[in-house]
Amino acid sequence: MIEVTTDWYLTLAALLFSIGFIGMMVRKNALIMFMCIELMLNAVNLTFITASKHFGQIEPQISVFFVLVVAAAEVVVGLAIIVSIFKKQETASVDILRSSRG
Amino acid sequence: MEYILLVVIFVPLMVSIFLNSISKFLNERLTTFVTINGALLSFSISLFMFGALLLDKFKPISLNLFTWIPNPDISFEFLLDGLSGTMMLLVTGLGLVIQIFSTSYMSGDPRFVKYFVYFNFFVFSMLLLVMSSNFLVMFFGWELVGLSSYFLISFWSEKKEAAKAGNKAFVLNRIGDFGFLIALMMILNTFDTFTFKKIFEATLLNQPDNLDIILIFLMIGAFGKSAQLPLFSWLPDAMEGPTPASALIHAATMVTAGVFMLVRVSPLLQFSEITSILVISIGLITALVSAFAAINQDDIKKVLAYSTISQLGFMFIAIGAGAYVAAIFHLVTHAFFKALLFLGAGAVIHEMHHEQNIQKMGGLKKKMPFTAAMMGIGTLAISGIPPLAGFWSKDEILASVFSKGGIYYGFWLLSLLAAFLTAFYMGRHWLLIFHKDPTTDIENVHEAPKMMTRPLLLLGMFSIFIGFINTPFFHGLEKVLHYTLIDVEVTHLPEGITVVILALLSIGAGFTGLGVAYLIYIVDIFSYFKFEIPFTKEVKDLSYNVLYLNKIGNQIFVQVPKSLARKTAVLIDGLIIDGFVNGVSSLFYKSSKTISVTQSGLVRNYVVYFGFFLLLLISIFIATPLIIL
Repeated sequence: MIEVTTDWYLTLAALLFSIGFIGMMVRKNALIMFMCIELMLNAVNLTFITASKHFGQIEPQISVFFVLVVAAAEVVVGLAIIVSIFKKQETASVDILRSSRG
Repeated sequence: MEYILLVVIFVPLMVSIFLNSISKFLNERLTTFVTINGALLSFSISLFMFGALLLDKFKPISLNLFTWIPNPDISFEFLLDGLSGTMMLLVTGLGLVIQIFSTSYMSGDPRFVKYFVYFNFFVFSMLLLVMSSNFLVMFFGWELVGLSSYFLISFWSEKKEAAKAGNKAFVLNRIGDFGFLIALMMILNTFDTFTFKKIFEATLLNQPDNLDIILIFLMIGAFGKSAQLPLFSWLPDAMEGPTPASALIHAATMVTAGVFMLVRVSPLLQFSEITSILVISIGLITALVSAFAAINQDDIKKVLAYSTISQLGFMFIAIGAGAYVAAIFHLVTHAFFKALLFLGAGAVIHEMHHEQNIQKMGGLKKKMPFTAAMMGIGTLAISGIPPLAGFWSKDEILASVFSKGGIYYGFWLLSLLAAFLTAFYMGRHWLLIFHKDPTTDIENVHEAPKMMTRPLLLLGMFSIFIGFINTPFFHGLEKVLHYTLIDVEVTHLPEGITVVILALLSIGAGFTGLGVAYLIYIVDIFSYFKFEIPFTKEVKDLSYNVLYLNKIGNQIFVQVPKSLARKTAVLIDGLIIDGFVNGVSSLFYKSSKTISVTQSGLVRNYVVYFGFFLLLLISIFIATPLIIL
């Protein structure tokens, strides 16, 4: 039986992170990009937990809770912004929303 | 007893403040009442003080009001001796007479009260100047007379010329005051006190090394106030002010402050040969140049202004020759006849409805016989015709210069020429106004009102008789100034027959000047003989424009610094300072413009940057030696 080692978890986390990152780069819809951010955050969370298990320490798990809480808060704010932008501009495409251009 | 001095000095100030504070409730009659009575009070008390001084053989009375700074010793002190007593009488007396004239001359002016506010303020400042017993209080008076002169010159400041003339007078006076101020600092540094008496006593014991420099700076101050050659051009312009104010300030009293000051410091001046030579030569040049300029002026007041400058030149000649008594004597007589001439001119201007061009007058003798007679007395007095006042004083100056011998013979000859020119232009002045056939319609011209003619009569009387206070037979003024000049070596008249010959020569110069003026301007001798002098037009131009000194001065001292300043403004301010500031801002602008290209507003670009940064961090992490956890 194949033993699931720490490397597997880290690889999975890296994959998830890459998917999220590439999603950020290629997708236009703000909502999808938001989901990609969540994906990346959770990939990092997974790394933390793996590290916690590997080293037998509890501290990384505390960090995970922080990340979860912050992510939840960020979702609330972010979604609200996206909804209000959508109501105003009738689009959620980040290519059109370029008002922060220098 | 000596506290009564304060009344003389501060009554004019009180009147000035009083009139100013309730000016809204005053009409002309009330103002006249207040100001004339104030002047009368001041004058009668100064007369009383002068009488007390006379009984005490002119022993100086001093009044230490309070010590301002104990070390170095600076105190607020007044001094009444022969010199300041004479000036005090002159200022308050002429102030009274001219105020009486002014109440009529200024009548109807919307700022009637304001005029008397300034006028009384001037009298106060002049008294402060002459009564001070140290340089600092004198300097206060010196500055305050400058200020009140500025107020009165630009009294009709709605006229652009008047405002400009006031500014010019103020600025040119500042140059002189600057010299005075430097002299004051050097005096404090050298003598550690400002009090005249202590300074004179210290100088008598041993003369400090920088005495020449101190005196030259004091001389610059005197030249600024007394309108001598480099700094003279403000006085003709100052004629924009009301004529009675010109009579008091720019003829009789303020402009003589320089003469007064140099006589005051005569105990120092006698030790400085170079300053004396400078004073006499500049005085002489001024007397000649301004007499030359007066010949072709057309403005009734400008002739008198140049004449004033010329007569002040005479006073400086006397000071340079060491004849301090003669200088003060001429100051006194000049004050009377020049005030008379100015007030006469004021009466003429008043009756001619502010026409000031003497070429447009003529024939006024029949219409204003009294003014003509009084102006005639003034003209004869200034021309040096005996036994009028001007003869005695001018002759004393000329004779004193002569008696010094050596190079002073040349100075004497040139002074005689200036005296001749004086008689000539004053003759022209009187003849063109009163005697020549009228050039314009003068049917409606009348004699001036009584309030104007009575002061004229009074001044006319004085112009005739004031000369007798100091004749070769009766040295009255010399006795008055005895204590003031006790340690000073005063040049005296030559002995015996010489003084008679000199007197005859100066009388001759006076009569010749008047005669030539009559021949040229009334008989018109040149066209009678069909004789044309070459260069007449050029000389006329030169004279009218005062040798173009004003223009040259303007070129050198105004245009050159102006263009220099403009160049500096363009170069330093424009290129360097502005360049630096603008350079910094444009540097930031350009660099931020370049950098802001990265701010595309596209989220995916930011994600890419984020990714690159992440890769960078990872590679740094890998490249660095492993940290053992």
